[in-house]
Amino acid sequence: MSAALIQLSNLGFAWPGQPELLDVDTFTLQRGESLFLKGPSGSGKTTLLGLLGGVQQPNRGSIQLLEQDLSRLSASARDRFRVDHTGYIFQQFNLLPFLSVRENVELPCHFSKLRAARATQRHGSVAKATSSLLAHLGLHQPELLERRAGDLSIGQQQRVAAARALIGQPELVIADEPTSALDADAREAFLELLFAECREAGSSLLFVSHDQSLARLFDRSLSLAELNKATRLAEI
Amino acid sequence: MYLLRLALASLGNRRFTAWLTVFAIALSVCLLLAVERVRTEARASFANTISGTDLIVGARSGSVNLLLYSVFRIGNATNNIRWDSFEHFAEHRQVKWAIPISLGDSHRGYRVMGTSPAYFEHYRYARTQALQLSSGRAFTDDPFEVVLGAEVAQALDYQLDQELVLAHGVATISLVKHDDKPFKVVGILKRTGTPVDRTLHISLAGMEALHVDWQNGMPARGAAKVSAEQARGMELKPQQITAVLLGLNSKIATFSLQREINEFRGEPLLAILPGVALQELWSLMGTAEKALFVVSLFVVLTGLIGMLTAILTSLNERRREMAILRSVGARPWHIASLLIVEAFTLALAGVLLGLLLLYVGIAGAQGYVQANYGLYLPLNLPTRYEWTLLGAILSAALLMGCVPAWRAYRQSLADGLSIRL
Repeated sequence: MSAALIQLSNLGFAWPGQPELLDVDTFTLQRGESLFLKGPSGSGKTTLLGLLGGVQQPNRGSIQLLEQDLSRLSASARDRFRVDHTGYIFQQFNLLPFLSVRENVELPCHFSKLRAARATQRHGSVAKATSSLLAHLGLHQPELLERRAGDLSIGQQQRVAAARALIGQPELVIADEPTSALDADAREAFLELLFAECREAGSSLLFVSHDQSLARLFDRSLSLAELNKATRLAEI
Repeated sequence: MYLLRLALASLGNRRFTAWLTVFAIALSVCLLLAVERVRTEARASFANTISGTDLIVGARSGSVNLLLYSVFRIGNATNNIRWDSFEHFAEHRQVKWAIPISLGDSHRGYRVMGTSPAYFEHYRYARTQALQLSSGRAFTDDPFEVVLGAEVAQALDYQLDQELVLAHGVATISLVKHDDKPFKVVGILKRTGTPVDRTLHISLAGMEALHVDWQNGMPARGAAKVSAEQARGMELKPQQITAVLLGLNSKIATFSLQREINEFRGEPLLAILPGVALQELWSLMGTAEKALFVVSLFVVLTGLIGMLTAILTSLNERRREMAILRSVGARPWHIASLLIVEAFTLALAGVLLGLLLLYVGIAGAQGYVQANYGLYLPLNLPTRYEWTLLGAILSAALLMGCVPAWRAYRQSLADGLSIRL
């Protein structure tokens, strides 16, 4: 029917013994869409991402990712489903500092056959996909590939993290404040690259941040505080 | 396998603690194997102290006591054997050879043993090794000749043709010296790693000559004194000896001859089988050796617990690493396996480094240990038993790796993808 990538309906979640943290009637993310989700701390942002990643299970309601109800999958199937279809970029310290840049980018392909296959299909090999993605993200120098990830600047690290999220064209890229450690100019430049690559890979982008100034760059923007009835109630 | 690569890279990131852990395990493994080798070798060399002798005969006492004074030169005989008893059994039809032993004198803390040339011919140690001279010759007809054990010669720096004076009794500080009858060094034995090295060997005639003028346990005075020259002219036939080593024509006769000696009517005698008595003695000393082994086992355990501590402390700092791995698709069991692989890798590296240390150590200390303790430490591949020990250490490490693995498993389930800063 629809091209919905994520479909949440009547979702509720609470940690054991605590009041409900998340209460969302409905939330949709279309395929190919880029969505800015404004999420100040305490708005249930981390929990929502955990639910979307299938790491936590909702107390009620359903989460559909690619028309697959996550709660119907076993824990290990959810893990597999997550890596097959989702790439993550976090705020900072995204990389394993002791691995090379190349190894960091290729990590998801070791845990997901699907993404390794897609990367190979598109670029000929996982290694070529890595080089191509990094080059698109402005990391051209071949010697950079073999550098220890921990030795890179923060800006470079975030671009490596983006390449890792995008390798093997997952349908969804979730970015959790990936620009907060960057300065203003670098932020927009990073986002432009990220948009371009998501478009190229056909991935939807769910971008969570508290920095409202970035919202204008996205197809659509939403506030998690408004979406989440639980925090609205708490604020009253 | 990719998990191994990840585990190694992660360990490389913490290489200082990783090396310390490996080194601690290596030292403990090296200690355990070294103790094991010394233990095995000490037991073998102990059992090899005397070979080829079928029966040891002495005055009636305990078998361990007889073994101690006749072979190890420790303690004293309670009584002597009459010379005619010796002759009686030396001429027994089952007896191939008989070595008389006469003890009681010493030289600067080393025991003096009177014996016959048969000793150099028939005495065996370490299964089939015969006594060999490193220089000089065995004693002959002149009673005042002495053949030194290797350690005696080395410790007291004695050369051939040197003269020395024996002392009466076996106390370190002897009160009475046989200074009227000096002995000449005519031979020095090669090292054997047995009590032979710590013995001065003289002929029975020499032993007799020393005491020919003694009366009631006191040296003669004045005119009753017999000089060395006079003694040479006398017939020096011993009246009594301390013990006898017997070699038989047939091993089968051992028990019947043993019974015959024990039931000898001439005087109360005791015959023992050296192997049995050695076993008996070793079982007394074995406790210390077992204690040493147990201690080294505990050292290994300490090394492994050190590893466990190092891994467990690292877990908290590595939550981010785990979360990143989870976000790129690692499942909780991957995280758990990663930690088990890590523990196993540390232990394996420790075992290998331990073996290396052991071999370097043995290669370096081999000569010294053999020269000073008479123990030959072989530089061979690990024995089957040692492999079993190493396997047990690795299994224990694997088992211990399950503890941090379980904790990381729980932790990664709880933390999910959130990275705590």
